[in-house]
Amino acid sequence: MDLPDYFAEYETSKTGIAMEPLQQFGPFVSILLIFISAAFTDNILLARFLGMCSCLGVSKNVDTSVGLGLAVIFVTACTAALNYLVYRHLLVPLGLEYLRLITFIMVIAAFVQLIEMVIERLSLTLYYALGIFLPLITVNCAILGVCLFMLNKPYGFVQTFFFGLGSGCGWFLAITIIGGIREKIDESGLPKGLVGPGITLIIIGIMSLAFVGFSGMIRI
Amino acid sequence: MTQANRQILTKGLWLENPIFRQVLGICSSLAVTNLLANTLFMCFGVVSVTALSNLTISLLRNLIPQRIRMIVQVLIIASYVMMVDIIIRAYAPDVHRFIGPYVGLIITNCIIMGRAEAFASQNRPWPSFLDGIACGLGYALVLIAIACVREPLGFGTLFGHPLPARQAWWHPWTIMVMPPGAFFMLAVVTWICRTISLNTKPRKQV
Amino acid sequence: MTSILLAVAFLAGIGLLLAALLILAERKILNYGPCKISINDGARELEVQGGASLLSGLAQNEIFVPSACGGRGSCAYCKVRVLEGGGPVGPVETPYLSPKELEENVRLSCQVKVRNDLLIAIPGELFAAKRYTGVLERKRPLTYDIVELRIRLQEPDGMDFLAGQYVQLESEPYKGRDAVMRAYSVSSAPSDRNHIELIIRRVPDGIMTTWVFDYLKEGQTVHFSGPYGEFRLSETDAPIVFIAGGSGMAPIYSILKDMKEKGIRRKAVYFFGALTQKDLFFIDDLKKLEEEHPWFAFVPALSSEPEGSDWKGKRGLITQIVKEALAEASTHEAYLCGSPGMIDACIKVLTEGNMPEEHIYYDKFT
Repeated sequence: MDLPDYFAEYETSKTGIAMEPLQQFGPFVSILLIFISAAFTDNILLARFLGMCSCLGVSKNVDTSVGLGLAVIFVTACTAALNYLVYRHLLVPLGLEYLRLITFIMVIAAFVQLIEMVIERLSLTLYYALGIFLPLITVNCAILGVCLFMLNKPYGFVQTFFFGLGSGCGWFLAITIIGGIREKIDESGLPKGLVGPGITLIIIGIMSLAFVGFSGMIRI
Repeated sequence: MTQANRQILTKGLWLENPIFRQVLGICSSLAVTNLLANTLFMCFGVVSVTALSNLTISLLRNLIPQRIRMIVQVLIIASYVMMVDIIIRAYAPDVHRFIGPYVGLIITNCIIMGRAEAFASQNRPWPSFLDGIACGLGYALVLIAIACVREPLGFGTLFGHPLPARQAWWHPWTIMVMPPGAFFMLAVVTWICRTISLNTKPRKQV
Repeated sequence: MTSILLAVAFLAGIGLLLAALLILAERKILNYGPCKISINDGARELEVQGGASLLSGLAQNEIFVPSACGGRGSCAYCKVRVLEGGGPVGPVETPYLSPKELEENVRLSCQVKVRNDLLIAIPGELFAAKRYTGVLERKRPLTYDIVELRIRLQEPDGMDFLAGQYVQLESEPYKGRDAVMRAYSVSSAPSDRNHIELIIRRVPDGIMTTWVFDYLKEGQTVHFSGPYGEFRLSETDAPIVFIAGGSGMAPIYSILKDMKEKGIRRKAVYFFGALTQKDLFFIDDLKKLEEEHPWFAFVPALSSEPEGSDWKGKRGLITQIVKEALAEASTHEAYLCGSPGMIDACIKVLTEGNMPEEHIYYDKFT
């Protein structure tokens, strides 16, 4: 295995990778493949390292992980689609691509605020359960990361939505498994220096090792 | 330098190091540390953005209304990150191809938001600037340490220059190039640093 | 040049658009409409606009629930019982509510948002609490860090209260700090219903005390609400032990003046603890009371007075002095006023002297 090619798998903005052209698949199959690749082979947490901070803080037990994960799935999918529209129909025609960072983060912040209001109206228990995590989603690297990654992919609107959905689900999967493992690890004796972030990172590393086995499966 | 300012520096660099103590800003630290060149540019980005945004937020701290505080902070940080992004793209286009999105993600880097909230919004400009530099450098030191292990072991080069062992007999460890290697290296660095700080200050809480 | 203008215009445009969208959404989504609040089984019925806290809804209808932190959920003064319609208990409230209180549906009214019709129960005396406007008649320093305020009531011009109760004083915003409310016991006698006097000690960097000491001037208009509180003299004949230091003297001074005017002749001892002579005040007034009224004894004690000074009174910690003076306290009642640490220490000493806990009344200053 020649090293530079292998490393090219993890490059993000290079378009010269041998990607499978999307046109050869039908619309539904391409969406399915995009979803699977976003959730497994290019898992936003285990392969792209995004969304770590909230992950390390939250994944202490499975219940909060699930709650936060579901919220992240929803926000990622919707903001990926929204930002796609904003980018292609507002920024590009006006020639303002360089403003994408600020625009994306503003859209994400406004969307999260909106979701907060809706959750507060619909279910107060869920609102209290999510508590501080809701505003923290705004600064979750994973969401802004998904929006930036989707710029380099030749996807349309619906495909971008499923890319976001898949990435969110991948993040949810990773954080739930990590939460489960951490709950078990808490009961065994660890060296003092490893308690907390140390052991969590090792767990994530092992999981990432497992998920690397998926790479090369789908290159979309 | 006054005693207080010296304390700010030691806190940011070691006692309250953002990476292994506060566990913030991990995302980018794992992604870019496969090559030392990437790491150095990323650190430049983080140090300058943290210091400048701390300075700006501290200067404006009495003028920002409470309700929109977070939004204004994010906007200030986003503007500086955009400038750094453009600078890196202009002066090091090869590096930018690798770390491009991660430079953009400095906006959501918990370190900068955390310092802005915790320090810059309540302290005067010069200490805030120093705090930004200190935390940025603390972050940079850990990253450079990790990169100095990952690049030689993963590629057999250091800063792009092939090491003598590479040509002779060394086979690169692929795992160091891949995400799992990054997680393990960071875990090891965290373990070592925390154990040292636990042993030197026995009364300090974990 | 045009590109710069375009960029700025675009960002401003997007910002305004998103802000407008959010404001619109808030109006539509978080619009709860008018809600009915039924108090004390229908004794009083209110209608408020949904979306605000229960505390502010009640305050708008002239029912002033005490609050020291201004609705931030950190003082726990604003407890009311919400029997129906309160929704789940929020994470801000749970640290301040004991399991027994949770069973009785006690909630922090500053954290309960009015979303639908509510059924609540509040202590009857809260109905008597009003918001008063007054003018500062006199501000005089008592020690280097304690000041006395004398306020003449204007609107309403008289307040009926019991000796030992407190009022919530409102500060005004200054130099980057918001208006706040803080509780202070009234130190004047209830008979003087057109005035109240407050004893306030400076808290370093405190929002209210900095305003009182550095900004408040005689002749200025002040606002406060009250009276609140259950700290008052009991109806029995038991001998009394008063223990208080610094600004804790306020409710006790009010009670003593009230006892003197009403001719209540219960035996009373007042242990006044302070650090040094600099912290003593009203000494002459209290000594005079002692001379004129044999039922009252005044015992000041200093804990940090330098050796060899001209202080002829007792020296030592107030808890020590109380212990020595009261070997047998099973028939006495105690009234304590001060910091939580001081009160806990005194309770320990008193119970060791055989005083039953039900006979100990206290007003903890947080």
